[in-house]
Amino acid sequence: MMENEMKSCRNVNENPCNMCMPMGGIIALKGIAGSMVVLHGSQGCSTYMRRHIAEHFNEPVDVGSSSLNEKGTIYGGAKNLEQALDNVRRVYNPHVIGILTTCLAETIGEDVERFADEYKQKNGLQDFPLVTAPTPGYGQSHDEGYWFTAKRILVCLTETAPKHDRLNIVIPHISPADIREIKRILGLMNIEYTLFPDISDTLDRPHERPYTKMTSNGTALADIKTMSGAAATIQMGVTVEDSFSPGKYLKDTFGVPLYRVPLPIGMAGTDQFMETLQEITGQPMPASLAQERGRLLDGMIDSHKYNFQGRGMIFGEPELVYSITKTCLENGLHPVVAATGSRNARLGELLQPSIADGGEKIHILSETDFCHIKNYGEEAGANIAIGHSGGRYLEERAGIPLVRVGFPIHDRVGGQRLLSVGYTGTMLLLDRITNTLLENKHKSYRKKMFEQFYQAAN
Amino acid sequence: MAITKEQLDAILEKYPAKVAKSRKKHILIKDASQESQIIEANTRTVPGIMTNRGCAYAGCKGVVVGPLKDMIHIVHGPVGCGYYAWGTRRNKAKSEDPTKNFLNYCVSTDMQESDIVFGGEKKLAKVIDEVVETFHPNAISISATCPVGLIGDDINAVARAAQKRHGIPILAFNCEGYKGVSQSAGHHIANNILLDKVIGAGEQEAAPAKFAINILGEYNIGGDGWEIKRTLEEIGYHIVTVMTGDGSYEELKNAHVAELNLVQCHRSINYIAEMLEIKYGTPWLKVNFIGIQSMIETLRNMAIYFNDEALTKKTEEVIARELARIEPVIEQYKKVCNGKTAFCFVGGSRGHHYQGLFAELGIDTVLAGYEFAHRDDYEGRQVLPDIKPDADSKNIPELHVEADEGRFRLKMSPERLEALKKEIPLSNYAGMNIDMAEGKIIVDDINQYETDELIKLLKPDIFASGIKDKYVVQKMGIPAKQLHSYDYSGPYAGFNGAVNFARDVSMGFSSPTWNYIVPPWKNQPLLIGTVTEEGVA
Ligand code: SF4
Ligand code: SF4
Repeated sequence: MMENEMKSCRNVNENPCNMCMPMGGIIALKGIAGSMVVLHGSQGCSTYMRRHIAEHFNEPVDVGSSSLNEKGTIYGGAKNLEQALDNVRRVYNPHVIGILTTCLAETIGEDVERFADEYKQKNGLQDFPLVTAPTPGYGQSHDEGYWFTAKRILVCLTETAPKHDRLNIVIPHISPADIREIKRILGLMNIEYTLFPDISDTLDRPHERPYTKMTSNGTALADIKTMSGAAATIQMGVTVEDSFSPGKYLKDTFGVPLYRVPLPIGMAGTDQFMETLQEITGQPMPASLAQERGRLLDGMIDSHKYNFQGRGMIFGEPELVYSITKTCLENGLHPVVAATGSRNARLGELLQPSIADGGEKIHILSETDFCHIKNYGEEAGANIAIGHSGGRYLEERAGIPLVRVGFPIHDRVGGQRLLSVGYTGTMLLLDRITNTLLENKHKSYRKKMFEQFYQAAN
Repeated sequence: MAITKEQLDAILEKYPAKVAKSRKKHILIKDASQESQIIEANTRTVPGIMTNRGCAYAGCKGVVVGPLKDMIHIVHGPVGCGYYAWGTRRNKAKSEDPTKNFLNYCVSTDMQESDIVFGGEKKLAKVIDEVVETFHPNAISISATCPVGLIGDDINAVARAAQKRHGIPILAFNCEGYKGVSQSAGHHIANNILLDKVIGAGEQEAAPAKFAINILGEYNIGGDGWEIKRTLEEIGYHIVTVMTGDGSYEELKNAHVAELNLVQCHRSINYIAEMLEIKYGTPWLKVNFIGIQSMIETLRNMAIYFNDEALTKKTEEVIARELARIEPVIEQYKKVCNGKTAFCFVGGSRGHHYQGLFAELGIDTVLAGYEFAHRDDYEGRQVLPDIKPDADSKNIPELHVEADEGRFRLKMSPERLEALKKEIPLSNYAGMNIDMAEGKIIVDDINQYETDELIKLLKPDIFASGIKDKYVVQKMGIPAKQLHSYDYSGPYAGFNGAVNFARDVSMGFSSPTWNYIVPPWKNQPLLIGTVTEEGVA
């Protein structure tokens, strides 16, 4: 049985589970080599988002702002934006600039696309890659902001190109460690690819000498230009609306065949990714990966007794929630709540088939907040929470331990190093979940046994 | 170490000419031979420069209003502004009644596209109703973010109606982020409303105890306020309220009964300090609880103000005891710190406050500055008459207060007050510049590029700043100390705070981790090309 509780009847958002649209846009743009981002709006948004992102990745996050003020709200912000671009170009010498808008710019009706054309014209920069993406914070959540901006990057930069053998791998917002793991798998399969957008280095940089403001890593501009000629696109994004889908855009505009797969998390999820790779390239799965698969299976068997006692509440970005929920289900950990702060209809539709066969109820919440997640979870007897650090309040108030995964993770270090994809990553994720269940159980084990058997008997 | 004008010009040269000209006015090399050195501050940020500044909403809700623990703070706007300010300042609070401590909550009206088109007043009203029903707070604040002002929501009217409905104070703050040029605008907006609507709303006519004081501009980051209270209460002071760290609506409403207001962060709270003096006749004393000598001086100045023999005696006893206790401990850390240099760039007061503590550890502050201060925070309050209001500052309403007929009371004779002003910083702040040593650099609203370049030139051993620049600095091989959030440590104020700070800073220097890292200038020529060449060429 499934229940798809969409928007709640309350008006208040009490402890939000999602962030705003330009936040996600910044992440997508940070995955492009040599890029800089300018937020068109008041500077507070970009300052807040910089610190928000920096605190998760422990990396410098430079995001410019057009610093609109009261005057700009009356006379328009073109002049400020122009200055912002001039200064960013001068000081950072970026190879790509992305302009995102904030609530302020959208409310006063700024047309950044027209602005970008005029700016290029005026400065003789016809060929300069300028990406514009209107991302009002009130429009959608950071998840849609990420996908929409990723699509806009392609719309602005991809050109018609001759056919080639590379695959486009379009990924959702996942950790740098996850991205590196996906690349490793592709490498083991001897596959040539363009992974987009790639924050694995730009937001998780090694300590290097000398320090430079920009790195040459990230998805290369030249590769983005020719994604149109790829043999196929694999998009790890099944929850993405068509109108935001980069893969759909490449298919509709350039005829690149599109394979939509979920994130390779969990046995079935990773299998599906591997099968898709094999189907497209005709390459077999290398022996070493088959062994990793076997180890995952072995580990799942070893842990199944513990996992079966888990009752999980899973929350965060829809794509991750979908894959983790499926992973829980395949390990007997019942997901009592699968929730996202984003407005996402697909999550519920997609989870439906896997839970329709008479199992226990799952509350699937969209556009929700932590107040609801907590209430539904507590009522259904949840004993583990899986998601970003916004859920630490579940731990503090409801005593439900939190397995941190996703974004943001602000109260622990290492969010950027969390590995959860592929057979090996799944095993690590599962171990984190299982061990949290065990730890919690052991904490209260003696006391419970005492109460149950000793006190009850006397 | 100092830098020359030529070196400074070389840094500014990378900017477009107009920007260079503007930035130049925000940077000073301390020169005591000049009678006054003017710095430009509190003017518009250059667009596209990686400023550390935030918005009016951040200054209002994030800094001044947010720490009031028994209130629910509703952020009226789209969800992002609320989320990003959620728990990000480490202002701590405990409550006798745990059901009246709402600091961990983030409450947003989560405006959607339709609210932007049709207005958000109805939604706001419903959110207030829901919040009252769920939390039963002592009061509610509504902070407007950017879109609210633009679409013309009348949050004051909504607040008034809701206050009638629910019978609890509901305060509306028009602190839209585009107002003013930084957080500073938000401080002012918050100050106005707190003075107008909260302070004085309490029924007390006189303080319940002797030596009653308010502490203004102390936000209890990492427990600072608790450490300060420990000492002040031991000496015999009665703290009416703290604005606003670990503060509450319930306490704040009686702030008018205090005999003296202490001002820690001048920037964020001087408006209230000034207005309290006009309205209730309470003078304010500029204090600094950061650093051992500053702490001692503060305690002595307070004793001078109250002029009470027993109080003075107790003050000296506590000072002597605390010194004897902490000095040997600090001595150990001094050995690690001595001879080092620091950059100290923080907010609107810490850039100044921490310099003394650094000096006590043997660390020389070679560059200091503020993110959102005004000229008086650099040059001292005597410049106030010279600061002309510009279009941005005129947008922030000035509150005109008058003496409260029933409650205005001179705390001492005007003659004694004038005499005291010569002795202690009573209703005055002399600013940061005066304390800077010759040749040292003062930068207003420093940005990422200037930070990088000045680090290369001055090679500090530690950089005290915030989280946005922390990681760049560390990538350059230099320990960073976050002075906004204290890197999850603290308290740093008061006597014990000084010890904590010495320990944390020493750790920055002596952690074996740094042995694996050689700062670039140790084996390479300075200034490896220009920034432009450093891009992805
Ligand atoms: S929208 Fe306005 S109020 Fe909100 S963070 Fe941005 S600048 Fe500040
Ligand atoms: S919700 Fe809008 S105004 Fe608030 S931080 Fe996001 S973009 Fe800025």
